[in-house]
Amino acid sequence: MKHRERVEMALNHERPDRCPMQISFTPEFVDRLRADMELQGKQVHNPHGGGNTYELERSLGEDMLLTSVGWANSYYMDSKPYIDEWGVGWTVHPYETPFGQGHYTEIVSHPLADAAAIPSYQPPDPNRPELYGDSEQMVHDFKDEYWIVGVTVTTIFETAWALRGLEQMMLDMAMDPDLTNHILDIPFHYHLTAAKRLVELGVDMVWTGDDMGAQHQMMISPKMWRTYFKPRMATLISELKALNPDVKVAYHTDGNVEPIIPELIEIGLDVLNPVQPASMDPAKIKKQYGKQLSFWGTIDEQRTLPFGTQEDVANEVRQRLATVGYDGGLILAPTHHVQLDTPLENFWAMVNTIVNTPYETL
Amino acid sequence: MDEKLKLIYNAILEGDMEGVVNNIQAPLDAGVAPGEILNTALIPAMDKVGQLFEEGEYFVPEMLVAARAMKAGLEILKPLLVDSGVDPVGKVALGTVKGDLHDIGKNLVAMMLEGAGFEIVDLGADVSPDQFVAAVRDGVDVVGLSALLTTTMPAMENTIRAIKESGLRDRVKIIVGGAPVTAEYARQIGADGYAADASQAATLARELIS
Repeated sequence: MKHRERVEMALNHERPDRCPMQISFTPEFVDRLRADMELQGKQVHNPHGGGNTYELERSLGEDMLLTSVGWANSYYMDSKPYIDEWGVGWTVHPYETPFGQGHYTEIVSHPLADAAAIPSYQPPDPNRPELYGDSEQMVHDFKDEYWIVGVTVTTIFETAWALRGLEQMMLDMAMDPDLTNHILDIPFHYHLTAAKRLVELGVDMVWTGDDMGAQHQMMISPKMWRTYFKPRMATLISELKALNPDVKVAYHTDGNVEPIIPELIEIGLDVLNPVQPASMDPAKIKKQYGKQLSFWGTIDEQRTLPFGTQEDVANEVRQRLATVGYDGGLILAPTHHVQLDTPLENFWAMVNTIVNTPYETL
Repeated sequence: MDEKLKLIYNAILEGDMEGVVNNIQAPLDAGVAPGEILNTALIPAMDKVGQLFEEGEYFVPEMLVAARAMKAGLEILKPLLVDSGVDPVGKVALGTVKGDLHDIGKNLVAMMLEGAGFEIVDLGADVSPDQFVAAVRDGVDVVGLSALLTTTMPAMENTIRAIKESGLRDRVKIIVGGAPVTAEYARQIGADGYAADASQAATLARELIS
């Protein structure tokens, strides 16, 4: 079965031969994995794109390949401090794990922190043809075999908080709706343009969204989500489906977002990602919404993958297949890029259990 | 509650900073002690904010605007509280642990603890075990450690170990929190308590020093 057929069946709520799989990685985990697999990756791996050859993803048997256009590409852009084209300042910050030192790129300054900068702010132009060269090439090279995902995550809220600062953005949301709408429209219009262009290039699915959940509850109220984000997401989904009625739309949000799931379905969402199991019970969410929605993710990155045993990981995969994937509607993936603190044995337990568990054996 | 104090209380709940500032002078002029304004209006208002957060009525933005309003009131009261000899209920050093730059969780905890009457020593983000030890040595009642990431969470254990090795562990209560942290992990690494959110952190700190 072709990789893309496997994903297509799952998203049509049918059972393919096995559950589709997607995995992304932090750069230093890739160094370990390439060494383990004796792969000759030549450049630093960037989980958000930037010249990815997809050698690693294809060698692992992943079923979806991702190509990203938008502010999220500012992550992991350099190994020294930098300012991205939006004016957001970044630093490169080390952290230690049992498997060596890793680096995260972290935001340190916001171009719209001072409200006086807002009226004259010029965002980058999403219509530059060079932004789409990699995506066009990978659709050409891989669409026959793989399910292609156009990535425009950090669609509205996360880019806005990078521009304005998270606390200030949330104060604005509570105190100044006009200013908030003005700021949110900056990334929204950019990513809407990018997402439409990616659909025109032939991607099978667009991955959109912003973190709306904290660990145990939503970060903002459902009411505030309805005010600021639901109408924009509804517009985005309907405009993408107007371009291609067959295109699927996936929405990313970390944390617990149970209160807004029915409304994501109402505005035409196809796939929810990543369904963080320490925040929401995937089996319960499947029971409630599994007829209308597919799920992408569900493998715990906060406990099982970094701190569990191989058996814990394999059990979690099998549990998800039985409780979420039993009638399709599931693409298994870790709930974030695989982190450097993950033991390779656990990583392989995840991959091998997914790849070697045909649905018919369940 | 006195009508004048009720105005301050309501303004905090509504996140109305100007309302707090505009209404705080009247009770002072009428001779209400600054300590009474703190204990009858500011702290109960932030308690109510915490309760509304726990109940799912308030979320982070509402908590931020309420805390901002409370802080404006507190800034006016602080010198008067010092003059009248009113001490904070305790002193808390807070920081995001080594390797981790994420600070909104820690900042929310600082706001809720300040709103509960604590004095805050904000050590910032990417705080080394030695910096936490120095804060304990300077004299605090509680240390709060925050981490957002699984890759930085182990720095909590290193920090607690450093405080033990400095011989100061008995002088201080240690509380931990952050997305990947659990009550079980807190027990494993020898913390005195775990809080799932900023409101619970304030409740926990009060219990631990009482």
